[in-house]
Order: sequence, then structure tokens, then C-alpha cells
Amino acid sequence: MATNYTLNVNGQNYNVTVNNPTMPLLWVIRDLINLTGTKYGCGIGICGACTVLVNGVAKQTCILPVENAVGTTITTIEGLSPTSTHPAQVAWVANQVPQCGYCQSGQLMTVAGALNAGLHGANIVPQIKNVCICGTYDRILQAVDTL
Amino acid sequence: MAEIELNERHEILSGEQQESESHKISRRKFLVTGSATGLTLGFALSAGARRAQALAGGIAGPPANTQVNSWLNITSGGAITLTIGSSEMGEGSYTGLAVILSEDLMVDFTKIKTVHGVPAIGAAKIGNTVVTAGSTVTWTNYWNLRNAASAAREMLVSAAMNIIGDQNRGNYTVANGVITYTPNGTEISYGLVANAAALLPVPANPPLIPDSEFRYIGKTQNRLDIPSKVNGTAIYGMDVRLPNTLYAVIQHAPAFGSVLSGSVPATPAGMTAVVPLQVLAGIGRGTEQTGMVNAVAVVGPTTWDAWQAALNLNVSWTTPANASQLNDAVFLSQAQSALTTNTPYSASGPNTAPTLYQVEGNAAAAASAIAGANKQFSAQYILPYVAHNPLENLCCTVNYVPGVSIDVYAPTQGASLIPPIAASLTGLSLNQINVHVTQLGGGLGRKYEADFVSQAIQVAVAVKQPVVVMWPREQFFMRDQYRPLSLVQVEAGLDSSGNILGWSATNVNASILGQRGIPLGAAGDSQSTEGTTTLPYTRGSISTQWISHPSPIPVGFWRSVGMSVNTFAVESAIDELASLAGQDPLQYRLNMCTDPRWTGVLNAVATLANYSAGPPSGHFFGMAAEKYANSYCALIADVSLTNATDYEGFPTLFTVNNVYVALDCYLAVNPGQINAQLAGGMVHGLNAALYGQQSFVNGVPQFQNFYNNRVIRIYEMPQVFTTVIPSPAQSNQSTLIGGVGELGVPCIAPAVANAYFRASGKRIRQLPFFPGVKMGGINNPKVP
Repeated sequence: MATNYTLNVNGQNYNVTVNNPTMPLLWVIRDLINLTGTKYGCGIGICGACTVLVNGVAKQTCILPVENAVGTTITTIEGLSPTSTHPAQVAWVANQVPQCGYCQSGQLMTVAGALNAGLHGANIVPQIKNVCICGTYDRILQAVDTL
Repeated sequence: MAEIELNERHEILSGEQQESESHKISRRKFLVTGSATGLTLGFALSAGARRAQALAGGIAGPPANTQVNSWLNITSGGAITLTIGSSEMGEGSYTGLAVILSEDLMVDFTKIKTVHGVPAIGAAKIGNTVVTAGSTVTWTNYWNLRNAASAAREMLVSAAMNIIGDQNRGNYTVANGVITYTPNGTEISYGLVANAAALLPVPANPPLIPDSEFRYIGKTQNRLDIPSKVNGTAIYGMDVRLPNTLYAVIQHAPAFGSVLSGSVPATPAGMTAVVPLQVLAGIGRGTEQTGMVNAVAVVGPTTWDAWQAALNLNVSWTTPANASQLNDAVFLSQAQSALTTNTPYSASGPNTAPTLYQVEGNAAAAASAIAGANKQFSAQYILPYVAHNPLENLCCTVNYVPGVSIDVYAPTQGASLIPPIAASLTGLSLNQINVHVTQLGGGLGRKYEADFVSQAIQVAVAVKQPVVVMWPREQFFMRDQYRPLSLVQVEAGLDSSGNILGWSATNVNASILGQRGIPLGAAGDSQSTEGTTTLPYTRGSISTQWISHPSPIPVGFWRSVGMSVNTFAVESAIDELASLAGQDPLQYRLNMCTDPRWTGVLNAVATLANYSAGPPSGHFFGMAAEKYANSYCALIADVSLTNATDYEGFPTLFTVNNVYVALDCYLAVNPGQINAQLAGGMVHGLNAALYGQQSFVNGVPQFQNFYNNRVIRIYEMPQVFTTVIPSPAQSNQSTLIGGVGELGVPCIAPAVANAYFRASGKRIRQLPFFPGVKMGGINNPKVP
């Protein structure tokens, strides 16, 4: 049954029509709003490639029904900073973290959420459960150490 | 934004392809096009990697420079673009190529834009051999790039000399893309003379700058692609958005060897189509034969809608006739029996598996030497099928306009395979077919295969609308072309001093090249034997054999391929022999090596780990070494025993605390990226060693997502220390530059097994170390 929602993503309101209210937010962001920086990895909430901020908190959108995101403030990687200068982004570039880059949107959003929660440095690490197959974990640790 | 960048690439390339341009091919096989686009120098980069050569039945080594497949373009506006035929899959090679080019071109490397060419085939001018594999991108291209850059520089200087009217080259200097006439300080930029330079002859032997004048090579440089990978703008295979885009999800038959039974299901409500998908000629492996309909695509308005419809689709699949043979226990017993029951290779025979190939040495002589020795050693090492699983699933976007054009946007390692497929499915001619290589969210060897691209084109042909095609993660696990299940039997005999008098290594596994229709010679499948051959150790009388395994499960190129299988067996066995001889494993290896580059990396890693002082209390060292892609690598793992449970609540035997890696690649272009590749390759090897396996019940793969094929999270990341043997003061073309991208993978499994043995006295000879250990969700640690 088609349902209309208004979602606030990166400070803009988007009107979307979904065929099923359980459609995960990930696919609304990617296929209806066309913001493709948020990635699909596992679809079951393990890998974290789909992580965005919902009201400032890191959430895995591949298992988050869109209906649960209505009325929230959603931030994707594209909205993290208009100039790509969020502290996490700066640290990622300074430490040359990405290899293939596919998981890094999710890694950055997880770290951004931890910073929002007032965590810094080593205290951020327990929050990072995102999978990186390239194995950039050592550089993520270096980057997080500076935050 | 994505489309703009992709279109730009296309315009650059189609600009070169105008028939009206004049072309000159020099003695050095540079090809120059003169036009309003400035100076364009075409040349051959050897993107035909070792893997590609193996696929063509050739031998290892740098390919001949016979075909122009790369272009250096300098516009009258001063823009510099390098168009090449290899893919960037996260290893930083595009940055490395720009760095190499910048030295002799004498420009800032960050001003060079490196893009992937649109591949064509035959005598086409762009992107002929376009395969990215075998850790080859940087080292095989190094000298060709430098020669091209020098030729372009001298042509630009010659054009400037014509303007000034002084033909004395000694009166000109070049820096940062500006030519200076030193007698009066006149400055001429490259852009100003780019058009004129295109009309000049290509110099036969342009001088290369000495290594001492390098500004970038050998120094860590920031990667050019990283800014786009921290703000979401990098475009991967399913990120292309075109007007009226549809989304499709692929669903395969659950079992290998199974096909669609009966008619294609009706299109579910709200969906656009259900498309049956065939295995195309040359693409099927093992059970998957040409013409079989082994999958359907459901096409709908979003990926999610299509996916749900696919899951609910009522499709009938046949049970494969040989289903009962497609089981783990059968595969392993076939391997065991093949060790003793096989047919020797015959030049005239069909060589049906199991066939025995004598790859090196003499089996009877080795057996005799082993039998006559003071001590005998025999061990079997067993490795399971392992999926690739880069984090980006298989995906591909296609825009097909019937009778007009097809644009394929693919995260592919094998772009040159795609135009013939598109031509056969659409009837379009090659000049109507455009392949755009997107960023790869990891390739690991799986994205060399064209199955997913061929499916996406079939879907596009059916719907005649732009379509983004995706495999869900479960499909990726279940339709991989796996690292082959392998059984490696090692036997050796030692004299009373521990010296090896006889050595025999026999690997049984399915043939990767054989499944691709490539005839095997007497030496068997190079992809199966690498890592058991040309070992540096003095071992008396040796025999190296490979026996083809009959399993029809599709197998493929898994980052480092045969090396990751055989290095586990060989370096475990060498360590076991050191133990049997009562000798230190480092000294044991050094005593058997005469190649100074092998001993060099062994000593370097020992220094890095402070081996002579030993590990901290309660920690244990294990080591391994390898030679691959002309590089030498040695690795030490620092392991301690634990009785604890891990963060998921599963019991653990040990923790890998630190990993030390030494590499000798002759010439290090971007040391920071070498460090990243060694650490990353190590993680890929560690994931497989700890947890990696695929298991089959009647042809149905059992591990279907990360929850039961775990990979490491950040908490399990060892601290990694790397060292690179210094480059020579002045490099020369007679020593091959070594690869890096796969070098970190093979040594970690044996090094950890060897360290665990030192710690516990227990020898692990079968991978993975922790079969069946699961992985929970980020917010739900007990996903089933």
C-alpha cells in the first residue's frame, strides 16, 4: 500500500512515496532521494556501511523502517559538512584512511555520532563496529586518536 | 555529479577517436594525435597482467608493448589527463601512476587526472587489454610511463624552442609544467605549446631524470581519490542515477547446477518485469554451463521493492542430477583419493580430473631421498572453499537504447571482457558500446568475472530502460567463484643435523584456468601451483606436483590466488621441520636460503619485531615468508593464548597482538600506500584464516551472510608494523619492480599457526581456525 512520508534529510524536506512502510530507510535515501553516499553492505545490520545519523545518533538504515524515521532529523555523509571539513573527515584525510572507500561513509557517520555523544579518542573505539574488508582499521584507530 | 564526470571521460576519449586526426607511430610505438585537444601521446601500458596472461595460456612476466592502450593528454589549457585501462579498487594505484608520470613530465602530480579508459577490442585505439589483477598495476607500468612522460616533455620543449628560435636544448629548463629559456628568463607553459608539440616527431630516446632528482617517487603522497571517499561523492557500481532508472535484484537457483524449471513466473504486482537470466558462453564455471537459466531478475521501482518481490517469487528450480556429489565430505574424500588414484598428465590425453601433473623435480627421486633420510615428516594441510566478499556487492548499471547505444557502468576488474558480451546481446556494433568503470568497493579478484555484468545487460535488454542491478549479500556468498578447496600433502626427510634431504609437495584442488576453458600443459595450472614452486630453500631432492580435483563448484581468483593456499602449507611445513630439527625457525630458514633478497626480508622482519630479544612474556612469535609478483615478503605474528570469550561471546583460543611485515619490491613508489596494502592484505588473509569458509549441502552453499562467515572488527585488529627494503640509489630496467597489492595476504595464516604452535604445542593444519564462529549485528549481538 503506497504511503507518503516527509523526511528531513540534511536539512531539506523530501516527500517520498513508498510501497511498504517497512521499507528500510537505506533504500529511501538511495533510490528515492538519490543520495548514494550511504551504502548497502549486508542488509542485516552487521556491517554498518548504511550508517547515518538519526537525531544525531548513528543508526544502521538497512534495518530501520522508514516509518520510524518520520519526524526525525536525518544526516547522511553528504550532509556531514558542506565543505567536507567535519573533524572526522579531516582526520580521515590526514591519516589517509580509505582504500576502496565503500565502508567509509558508515565509519565516518559512526564516529560523528560518537563525537555528538561527547566521546573522544580511545573512548570512541568501542562504538565502531563497522566492518572494513580492506582492513583500514589501523588507520581508523590512528584517525580516531586525534579526535 | 557522477554523470558529469563519466560524461567528461567519454568526451575526452571520443575526442581522440575522430577519424580525421593524423596519427604517427614512432619507433618506440608511441602514437601521437594532433588536434585542437593539444598533445596526446598514446602508448602501451601492460595492463595485461600476469593473471590475464595466464588466462591467455601465456607465461608469467611483463607483457610485450605491442598495443596502444593508454593516453597522455596535455591540453592547450594546460590540463593533464592520463587515460588508462586498469581499475582502481582501493589500492591507490591511480595515485601511484600519477606520481610516476609526474617526475619525468616535471609537473605537480596532483595536477594529473587519472581516468579509466572506455575499453574497446581489436585494433581500436583505446584501452585494449583492460584487466586489473595480479598486483601488477604499478610495477608493470613504471618504465613505460616514465618513457612516455619524457617523450612528451621533450616534444613540448622542442615546440618551445621553435617559438624562441634557439635550438640549444641546454638553454632550457623545465619545472612545474613551465619551460624557461634561461638566457632571458622567458617562460612558456606546457599548455601554450601543447598543440604545436603534437605536430613534432616523437624523440627516440628521451632522457629520464636520475632517481636522485625524484620529487615524489619514494616519498609518501596523499591519495588523489580520498577526498571523494570521505564525503559520499565517489561513484560505485550502483550509484549511477539516470532519468527513469529502474532497479533490479538478482536471485539465483539455490543449488549449484540447478536451473529454472517450467515457465518464468508472472510479474508481481507493482513490478516491471521478471527476467530469466542465462549463463552466457565463456562466463559459466563448473556447474554453470552455457545456456543454463540459473537466475532471474526482478525489476521494480526501487531496489527494496524488487528484492522483496524476488524473495516472495514462486520460482521452481530443478534439483541438479549430481546434487548428492556436491557435499563437503565428498569433496574432501575426492581430494584424499586423488592423492593415490589419478592419471598422469598426457600430452594427447583428455586429462580428466584427477590428473597428476609433475610440476618440478622427480617424484621417485624425492621419495627415495625422503625414505633414506634420518627422520621423516609427513603432513596434510586442508583449506576450505572461501568466498571473496568485498563490501560492495556485485552490481552494475546499464542504459540501453535499442539500435542506438548501450552504456555499461560497472565496478569491474575486467572491462575488456564487456564489449563483446554487450555486442552479442544487443547486436550493436562496438562503437555503440561504452563501458564506464566506476570505483570498485573492493574487487579481491571476484570482479574480474563478467557474470554479473552479463546479467545486468540481459536485464537492460529486456526492459529497455536504465536499470541498476544488484546482488543481495546472500546471493554474493552463494554464487561466488570461490578460492578452491585444497589439500596439500607435504613430505620431507631430514638428516641428523636437520638438513632437508628430500621434499615433496602435492596440491590437490580444482583448476581455475581449467574452468575457464584454458588447456593445461604438463606443468598444470599455474594458479594452483604458485607458492609450491621456485621455493628458495635448499631441500635436496624435490618433487612438486599438482592433481586436478573433479569438483564442479566454481572456483576463481581470490586475492593472491594459489599463494594464499600453498604458503599456508609450505611455511607451516618448514616451521614443523625446524621444530623437528630442534632449530630456531628464523635461523633454519636463513640457513637454507642463498638468495640475498629472501634473507634480506627475513632479517628485516626479525629486526622490526626485535626477534632476537623475543616477544613479551606470554606472547609467541610465528613467521612465514613468500616471493610473489617479483616481491619478497616476510611476516612475523605475535600471538598470545586466551581462555576468554570474544566481544561476541564466543570462546577464543588466542589473540593476534602484533604483526610485523617486511617487503622488498625493489622500488617503492608510494611507501604510505605500501604500508596500507600490506596491512590490508594481512587483514584479508586473517579473515580467511580465522573464519573464512563456504560449505555445501547438495550443492547449496550454507554460509549466506557475514553472521556465519565472520570477518574481523576493529577490536580484533592487530597492531601492524611494516618496513620496506630501501630502493636502490639509481634504479634500472633490468631488475623487475615488485607488486604490493596481494603481498600481505599469504603469510598471515601460516605465521599465526606457527605462533600458536609455539604457544600451545598444538599444530593447526586445517583452516579456518574457528569454523562456524558467528558474528552479531551492531545493535543486536546475537543474530542467529
